[in-house]
Amino acid sequence: MTSSLDQFIHKEIRKISLLSPNTARLLGLNSDPDHSLQDVIDLVKLDSALTARTLRIVNSAAFCPLVPINTIERAVAYLGEKMIVGIAVAESCGKMFNQPLEGYESQAGDLWKHDLYTAFAAKEVAKYAKNGIEADLAFTAGLLHDIGKPVLSKLLEKASKNTIDALDQGVAKDYLAAEKLVSGAEHSEVGYELAKYWQLPEPIVAAIRFHHHPAQASEELQQLVYAVHLGDIIAMMSGYATGSDSLQYNLDSRYEKFFNISSTELTKIISDTESAFRPAFESLGGKEEN
Amino acid sequence: MSDLVLGIGDFGVSKDPSKSIKTYALGSCVAVILYCPTLPAAGMIHIALPESKVNPGRAKEKPGFFADSGIPKLIDALGKIGGPTKGKGVRVKLVGGASIMDKNQIFNIGKRNLLAIKKILWAYGMGAVAEDVGGTISRTVSIDVSTGEVKIFSAGRGNWTL
Repeated sequence: MTSSLDQFIHKEIRKISLLSPNTARLLGLNSDPDHSLQDVIDLVKLDSALTARTLRIVNSAAFCPLVPINTIERAVAYLGEKMIVGIAVAESCGKMFNQPLEGYESQAGDLWKHDLYTAFAAKEVAKYAKNGIEADLAFTAGLLHDIGKPVLSKLLEKASKNTIDALDQGVAKDYLAAEKLVSGAEHSEVGYELAKYWQLPEPIVAAIRFHHHPAQASEELQQLVYAVHLGDIIAMMSGYATGSDSLQYNLDSRYEKFFNISSTELTKIISDTESAFRPAFESLGGKEEN
Repeated sequence: MSDLVLGIGDFGVSKDPSKSIKTYALGSCVAVILYCPTLPAAGMIHIALPESKVNPGRAKEKPGFFADSGIPKLIDALGKIGGPTKGKGVRVKLVGGASIMDKNQIFNIGKRNLLAIKKILWAYGMGAVAEDVGGTISRTVSIDVSTGEVKIFSAGRGNWTL
């Protein structure tokens, strides 16, 4: 990366709002293997806006509990930690996730939909892990894996055809390489810089940096990063993508070292992810194309 | 022109000539498009997976999600608005079924979707007259009910007609 490009990226990153303190605390908690659901409840209770939104969402038509849920304890238990993370991230930086990505020819809302689907897919993938994996952490890492795209999109504006040409002519082996060729940076590199600016926990930073090259993550984090890698690919296969880069990446088949996923399990993952994703997407204010 | 927009697992038919039927972002999913030029009438389904046995509950709630539970529903729906329910008189087009760049093919759901769909269509005496399938691109597709014209869009690659 040249110094002028580095300066541009850091200037753009500084324009992005910091995460709210409670969202940052929640992500920190989520990455701590020793935390409990009570810790999440205690944190939500400190934030009146997050409490109100959580109660509104748990009682929405999308989740439709048998009897109204009026306490935050029951709401968090009903929705699960993953949804609390989703609500907090949507509240804290929804504007960034919902902007159109012109450099990817992607519409407003596409990035949020892709990231939320990836989060649910990574959580489903985690169920097939050969060794234990924190499924809620896989969700959070999936939700945040593409935070570099809104910044890199500005560098790719009016150049998305060049990235496609680079792929079609075989000059670039995948979209990441095409991004590098056209703009000088990859969205995962830019995301890494934003992750450091936001002071995200190390496992999430690794997922952002290496989700297209999971074998490059440190050994202890590879299983998590592979879960996000597969979640991202399943999202693209299922039509939840961010425009011109859809399906333009390589699958790293070394995931087999960490997960028992054959074609049968894959179809189950896709079906179960869609079922889990839909009510969450609707309750968080997502809109379909029209 | 107003669009009847289908999400994943949706199907729809129309004989309103002012309408088009559209579905967005087919990755490994496949759109089966039926057109009856004599009425005229069109139908489309956005299929995600080949077989409903993987999740019978979802198939009941959203039959169009799977090829085996969805295609019969689409053909029935076309029949209910006066269209044919056997091969003669229906033009079939298939769009989608892409895959990620995967050497070992486990993730090639698109190919498995296409095989399952063709097998089911054959049972109805239907075969595709045109296809824009496979590869590694995402496709958005629409059909104009009055003319039967099928248009495809892919981000970064523009529009074309099938």
